[in-house]
Amino acid sequence: MTITVLPRSGRRAYPPRRTEVTHHFWDGLTAGRFETTQCEACGALSFPPKAFCPHCWCKRVRWRELDGAGVIYSHTTVHAAPEVLAHEAPYRLCITDLDVGLRIATRLVDVPRPPQVGDRVELVALLYEDGPLFAVRPVPAGA
Amino acid sequence: MRPVAVLGGAAVPCGRLMRKADDPIQVLEQEVLAGCVIDAVADAGLDKSAIGSMVFCHPRMYTRQLYFGTFMAHYLQLPTDGIVMEVLGNGMTGGLAFDQAADQVALGRADVALALGASFETGADTAAHLNTTIRATGDVDFQSACGFTPISWYAMDAVRYMHEFGATREQIAMVAVKNRAHAALNPLAQYRAPITLQDVLAQRPIVEPLGLLEVPPRSDGAACIVLASVEVARASGRPYALLRGRGFHHEGAHQISERPHDMTRLQSAVKASSVAYAQAGVTAADFDFAEIYAPCTIVEVCVSEACGLVARGQGAAAAAAGETTLGGRIPICTSGGLQSRGHPPYVTPLYNVLEALDQLRGRAGARQVPDARLGFTICELGNYNAALVHVLEAVR
Repeated sequence: MTITVLPRSGRRAYPPRRTEVTHHFWDGLTAGRFETTQCEACGALSFPPKAFCPHCWCKRVRWRELDGAGVIYSHTTVHAAPEVLAHEAPYRLCITDLDVGLRIATRLVDVPRPPQVGDRVELVALLYEDGPLFAVRPVPAGA
Repeated sequence: MRPVAVLGGAAVPCGRLMRKADDPIQVLEQEVLAGCVIDAVADAGLDKSAIGSMVFCHPRMYTRQLYFGTFMAHYLQLPTDGIVMEVLGNGMTGGLAFDQAADQVALGRADVALALGASFETGADTAAHLNTTIRATGDVDFQSACGFTPISWYAMDAVRYMHEFGATREQIAMVAVKNRAHAALNPLAQYRAPITLQDVLAQRPIVEPLGLLEVPPRSDGAACIVLASVEVARASGRPYALLRGRGFHHEGAHQISERPHDMTRLQSAVKASSVAYAQAGVTAADFDFAEIYAPCTIVEVCVSEACGLVARGQGAAAAAAGETTLGGRIPICTSGGLQSRGHPPYVTPLYNVLEALDQLRGRAGARQVPDARLGFTICELGNYNAALVHVLEAVR
């Protein structure tokens, strides 16, 4: 249940903030674990992780590690980029439906050929010099 | 609740009004907006003393004057008994101003209410502007770092829509050609020179598959709409539009739902339009035109379907076949739409109301829909995560 950690040079242009709730997520990501919160009452998974279940508003949640497998729901390539990300443009973005039933939006990295809707992808951690981000990449051939 | 009339309006042409910071002569929001207010109130045949409420669009972050609404009450020397307030709701902001002004009249708090605002932003470079907008259209800590620009979400609508329905790039691009043809007839439009399908397809990509002419331009603008009780409207002796129905829905999601659903169906538009149509006692087939808030070509396609004007999956083909062109079965965005009329984000919905009002008063000139009696406006925020619909009927 561990996702691949890909080293990245440089610092994150737009570093996320850590909170008492979310630092566990970011620390796990650094170690190759993609964890989010699951409601102890209704069982629903949430992402981003929260101290409560946004679906039934129960305050009892637990961390659950995901395997990160999913399919591309849609994708794009951004050419007109924000100034803070101009050095990375053009870059690919996608919406992924994880097999566990969560929809997430991330960068799409390490793409060997033009992506297609329905392509299988997996979550990866991108470990920059100042901390982690997460993305998806196509499932490597033969995996 | 009292019935509400839309009695007048005025706007300046969309375009680059804001000057660079080092320009020795500046153009200020209050100067431009005050001109619109005076013109709109004259258009309604009213005196300033009749105005009971003013609902302002919150200005963009570049507007130096803070507490803009109350500042304008002073600038216009306009004491009021109803309300003076600013509203904010991303791209829906102008629609919320209209909606709240309508409530002022409906609740009897004012006999005349203004929905108004100025949206200035072109003095800021696009790439620098996007540094801020990625904080609006995504979770700042979990999505913004990826660089989800506002229109990147619509691009993903396009990819998904083409995948599901087999629509072609050319069909979707025809929306831009159609809207430019409409804009050519609109004095308020920012871009009026006709374009061809080849022109649209040849542009540099902005967010693939959408190129420069399929996304909104950077625009400034200012507009004022005059709403009134039916008694005031009748007494004016002028043609007006009656607000016949209103619908709103927020799907409880910001850009995407964390639970997978059909993203291009635009559930908020489906629900808001059905509520508004029911209130008005009409069906989609009854409309003579629709003025749709659609920043990108693909959005107009999806909204035309969500609002029942075109069958699901047929929106792009219908646009390409001319069904939504002036003279077609159901003209959409006779103003020229956001791509060509222009898109000063916080006031764009007011421009859409003004276009609907002019159509219903028979004052749309060369772009007039013959004998237009019934139309609707729809605006949104996010990736149509919320939608607000107003059904308007001509009273002449």
